[in-house]
Amino acid sequence: MNKLKLNYTSLSFLPILVCIPLGYQLINNIHFGGFKLFQEFLISAFNPKIDNEIIITVIKRLNETILIGFFSWLVSIIFGAIFGIISSNIFYKIFNIPNFFYRIIRVFLTIIRSIHEVVWGIILMQIYGINFSIGIIAICIPYISLNSKVFAEQLETIDYKSFESINQINAPKFSSLLTIVWNPIINTFKNFGLYRLECSIRSTVILGLFGIGGIGTSIFLSFQTLNFRELWTYLWSLAILIILSGLIFKKIKFNTTNKILSIFFIAVFFITILFSFSYFLYFIFNNNFENFNSISSLFKSSSDLGLFDFLKIILETIILSLLSTGIAISLPPLVIGIFNNNSSKIFIKIFAFLLRLIPTPVILLTLLTFNNPSLSLAALTLGLHNAGITSKLLFTNLETQDRRNYIAMKSLGISKKTSWLLGLFSQQAKSYLAYCAYRSDIIIRETAIVGVIGSVGLGWQLQESLSSFAWQEVTIVLIAYSSIAIVGELINGKIKNSLT
Amino acid sequence: MNNTLLELKNISYKYKNNLILNKVNLKINSGEKIALLGKSGSGKTTLISVLNGTIKPTHGEVKLFSKSFEELDRKQKSKITTIWQDLRLIEDLSAEQNVNCGLLAENNFYFAFKNLLNISSFKKAHKYMQLCRLHNSVYDKKIGKLSGGQKQRVAIARSLIQGSNILLADEPFNNLDPKLITTIKNLLLENGDKNNTKKSPKTALVALHRLDLLNDFDKVIGIRDGKIFFNIKRNNLKKLHLDKIY
Repeated sequence: MNKLKLNYTSLSFLPILVCIPLGYQLINNIHFGGFKLFQEFLISAFNPKIDNEIIITVIKRLNETILIGFFSWLVSIIFGAIFGIISSNIFYKIFNIPNFFYRIIRVFLTIIRSIHEVVWGIILMQIYGINFSIGIIAICIPYISLNSKVFAEQLETIDYKSFESINQINAPKFSSLLTIVWNPIINTFKNFGLYRLECSIRSTVILGLFGIGGIGTSIFLSFQTLNFRELWTYLWSLAILIILSGLIFKKIKFNTTNKILSIFFIAVFFITILFSFSYFLYFIFNNNFENFNSISSLFKSSSDLGLFDFLKIILETIILSLLSTGIAISLPPLVIGIFNNNSSKIFIKIFAFLLRLIPTPVILLTLLTFNNPSLSLAALTLGLHNAGITSKLLFTNLETQDRRNYIAMKSLGISKKTSWLLGLFSQQAKSYLAYCAYRSDIIIRETAIVGVIGSVGLGWQLQESLSSFAWQEVTIVLIAYSSIAIVGELINGKIKNSLT
Repeated sequence: MNNTLLELKNISYKYKNNLILNKVNLKINSGEKIALLGKSGSGKTTLISVLNGTIKPTHGEVKLFSKSFEELDRKQKSKITTIWQDLRLIEDLSAEQNVNCGLLAENNFYFAFKNLLNISSFKKAHKYMQLCRLHNSVYDKKIGKLSGGQKQRVAIARSLIQGSNILLADEPFNNLDPKLITTIKNLLLENGDKNNTKKSPKTALVALHRLDLLNDFDKVIGIRDGKIFFNIKRNNLKKLHLDKIY
């Protein structure tokens, strides 16, 4: 018998096998009591509530969301660029700083981003109470670190020879640094800026579900009262906001040769930095620590968390990440491959957009109407949400790909599905898997959100520990979270490097 | 009076167990025009990189103005300018912005900033670009959109604008047509310029392949397998010398 040989195409489909244990548990956990509610939820999508009162609420809530989302995006993208520069090797080469500092700053940033913004939000809320600023700060902390990673990765691709040539001119160090990093930074902003803005808005919505404010809070309240028509009004208005922000962002031409525009951007850059610093200091010194009076409470509080239980929830978190990643990788190519015609593609795109749009806690709560809380349900939720994101990338790449192989295969009489698989998808599989490796980093972080709602993993334990102000437990859970995320990032980094 | 500008003492350079430069000794005196000959892979580029301080030799000592590179300040180091074989221009910047990069050493951070924002003065850059026979239609074009010859001249203009005393050039006449080669050679070696507006380096070491370009050089150095085989006056160059290195 021939040996089984795996290639990038088969590796893209193989993870769908996670659906076997997942499906088994989901079927066992099914209950029919909530089907009517689920049906009502779906029908309401086509019949959202529209009246004066709700329109005023939508505008007010969207304003809050835009404010939190936009400011956290602006601050995190600017500081992300700064930290990106100081966490890239080019900075250390120009200033002749020992590599030791490079490693320290990278580890520090990895730890910061390993904790999800919701977790930061919940912790800050526990310390400072519910506060509008918490939303911005909670998003900014991990986002600055996430953005810095993106910027640093782009800076690492700078041709070393052009760096050498500028360095050899022996200009002042800051002049050399600026000349070398300027364009990669601007290009990264152009390419990733919009995506990060969309992420900021989504994170604002998710934090809103936990009480920060904005449209997320309204979504959560309408779900709690089972007012699905109202819920869909908020969701559709959120969709319009995301689409509009995308259109506006694309319209703005970041032309660095336009002098007035350049000066405007530079002014925004410095004003944001100054404002952020002053606001941060104001926030620190003008807020009462509600439940976190001194750092000593961290050591005084006891932990009731048993070792066995702790290991169990760590294992749950890892399994949750793996199952969700499996769905996020394999579901998009499988569905696009099977339903490979134009009308199906439109339907898949709309469905994928909805999966990206609806916050994961809302998807989970909806699924909970007919299924008991379980690890599988949490994995399905996270997997579906991320499949919405990976499918967007897959669609974009497939649409821009050279179709000659596909046409040639079809002309040989090969079926449309097989031609799609071998003529189109197989050429994308490698880069698709590389992106999924990056995505799985985010999935690990996102287990915190579904964990809180779906009673699984470390997310749930964190919520419990925070509610009882058991700071020692909180610290242990956060260390565990960080460790999983850092190990995951290292493994995914290796996978991504081998694929690119 | 000691007029040695650059000196290599017993220089060796190893890269991945390969000896690229092997016990090289060399003195470059003020005002000398030296041609560096050798086959591809003979160590010419590495020698230039050691001379400009980009590469630290595995063994030996490099001295500029009788001081080691570590002892020199930034201004002193900027007395050397290099035209690289692979040009090493910044692809995302326009031709004039790239040429202006040559002025970074004598200006402050604000100049670098203005250059990137395209709001600095390009007068000086344009003057040197004109000297290199670059048409004004290419001034604001991105490097990626220029032909090989145009890129070559942008790199030369960037080097000339630095106004350094010492020029190191690695095959600077690649991609240039015969008429341009003469013009550029005159510019680099300071053999006269109609307007006499340029400020060329007075001392030059130029790596070459074409023997018909040796006319204006004072000395010729032959290198093979990382070793200097001859270092003689141009008038003394014989076929015998060339046979040793080719």
